[in-house]
Amino acid sequence: MGALAIEVHDLHMRYGAEEAVRGIDLEVGRGEVFGFLGPNGAGKTTTIEILEGYRLRTSGRVSVLGVDPAAPTREWRDRIGLVLQECELDPLLTVAETLTLFAGFYSHPRPVDDVVQLVGLRDKRDARVGRLSGGQRRRVDVGVALIGDPELVFLDEPTTGFDPAARREAWAMIEGLKALGKTVFLTTHYMDEAQHLADRVAILRAGRIVALGRPTELIDGVENETMVTFRRPEPFDLAALRAWVGDAPEVAGDDVRLRTTDAQATLGRLLAWADEHALRLERLEVRRPDLEEIFLGLMSDRGLPGDADGDSGRG
Amino acid sequence: MPTGIPAVGDLRVVLRQTRYAIVSSTRDSRGVVFGIVFPVVLLVLFNSIFSSGDNLTVNFHHHEVRTRAIFTAGMAAYAIMLQSFSTLSITMTTQRESGQLKRLRGTPMRPWTFVAAHVIRAVLFAFALVVALLLIGRLVFDVRLTAGALAGVAVYTALGAAVMATLGMAVTAFIPTVNAASSVGPFTAAILAFISGVFIPPDILPDWLAALGRVFPLEPLADGLQRAVTGVAGGTGLTVHNVTLLLAWGAAGLVVAARRFQWVPQGVGA
Repeated sequence: MGALAIEVHDLHMRYGAEEAVRGIDLEVGRGEVFGFLGPNGAGKTTTIEILEGYRLRTSGRVSVLGVDPAAPTREWRDRIGLVLQECELDPLLTVAETLTLFAGFYSHPRPVDDVVQLVGLRDKRDARVGRLSGGQRRRVDVGVALIGDPELVFLDEPTTGFDPAARREAWAMIEGLKALGKTVFLTTHYMDEAQHLADRVAILRAGRIVALGRPTELIDGVENETMVTFRRPEPFDLAALRAWVGDAPEVAGDDVRLRTTDAQATLGRLLAWADEHALRLERLEVRRPDLEEIFLGLMSDRGLPGDADGDSGRG
Repeated sequence: MPTGIPAVGDLRVVLRQTRYAIVSSTRDSRGVVFGIVFPVVLLVLFNSIFSSGDNLTVNFHHHEVRTRAIFTAGMAAYAIMLQSFSTLSITMTTQRESGQLKRLRGTPMRPWTFVAAHVIRAVLFAFALVVALLLIGRLVFDVRLTAGALAGVAVYTALGAAVMATLGMAVTAFIPTVNAASSVGPFTAAILAFISGVFIPPDILPDWLAALGRVFPLEPLADGLQRAVTGVAGGTGLTVHNVTLLLAWGAAGLVVAARRFQWVPQGVGA
């Protein structure tokens, strides 16, 4: 067994004239939680379906648990758990019945009641799947993915449509998978989710990976700095502030924002300015950018030379 | 290559899937009403409407037989088609379009175990329904069967249900949406019931309609069951002609289903 759960080299996928995936390389280690991010249409689902063995790729090399998913075997499927998008379960069977049915397909399934417990559905064990809430149903999905005690779990947008409480619970569950030593390949729209759960993330845009690394590395790697915000005081003279602090402040709604690469110096000057003018800085906040801002920065055209032509060449 | 999953487990997998297919079907109120209650009601209706007095008769293969026997046997054939063809194709389309089949394909399950489980479910339900219809026929309408007739009914039911089930699987490949399946399955069964001597005794049908009916698989099933139940030929009612026709339809269904059956959603957006 190698140390890598997933290896992808120069993966391409073409649908007619349209190239949905344009040369992806990535490696996922065993026991790693890997976040795969990107807007709709970036090629996320195409890529994950190639890795899951549902789609045949146009070209490139792919190995998942040492097997080429273009030729999936039963032994391979026995080691993999899936949470798919838009895949329902039989609404007329209960949670326990559904898990029992799927348990029968695997060579060494986990006990049904353990899984019911793991996904937090003990109270709903004998409720029909069709009568559960969306969040509870998604948990049954995850339970079905785990029933075969897989080494690798694909979670395609596992928390879409969850309320915040359900999302927190799902996060705890996914952290539980990591604790069990599972490799998790996760796609999500939610940057906070990736930042919270993933050891590493890849950000996909128009079929290419535009950023890859630990969430903290990505955040550190962005030149853009710390943001200082506070409520615009009255009276307020933007030009005077600019002259004082040096960095370019901007007004955004009720707030004033300062971007700086040296937060300490900027803050010092800002506070001195406020003292000098006897101003009180309401809602003063100093914040590092989060993954969401990195993501939005990568999705906007700035900072991505050479990619705009790729977009226009589509379709 | 390693063979980590023992083949002996396949039978257990089939049985487990059959069990849950049955559980799910019994909880599907629309399926129960349309596939079980409906043919029973039709049997009572037809036998009540078309038999003022107890011994209305009709000509059947040059014998005068009771219409009640014809309707009871015909309704058994119709019930088999509803369960094995209509209900099955609706269930399969629903499961495919909602992604249930795609999900199953992602497990180590062998595809044939799934198909086998659903065919077994259809055959078991068809049998239960035929028994219920014959019991009603016997108790309410005094339709009596000889031991030979019972054997013939059993053979036709098993064969007919299996054939209709393969056709149900085959037709699913050409039905894009659940809505379409909900129309195609029952509509096909109803049309065929009219031209196969189920809703209208075969002797009353104009020749060209009867000939058209004989092209389709409900006719040999209905004719076979009617021969058995009326006892016109004596014995089991099994004929080479009917059995061969049913087997041919079954083989055709099997080939198409094996080649064209889809596991991923086919509808809009797929």
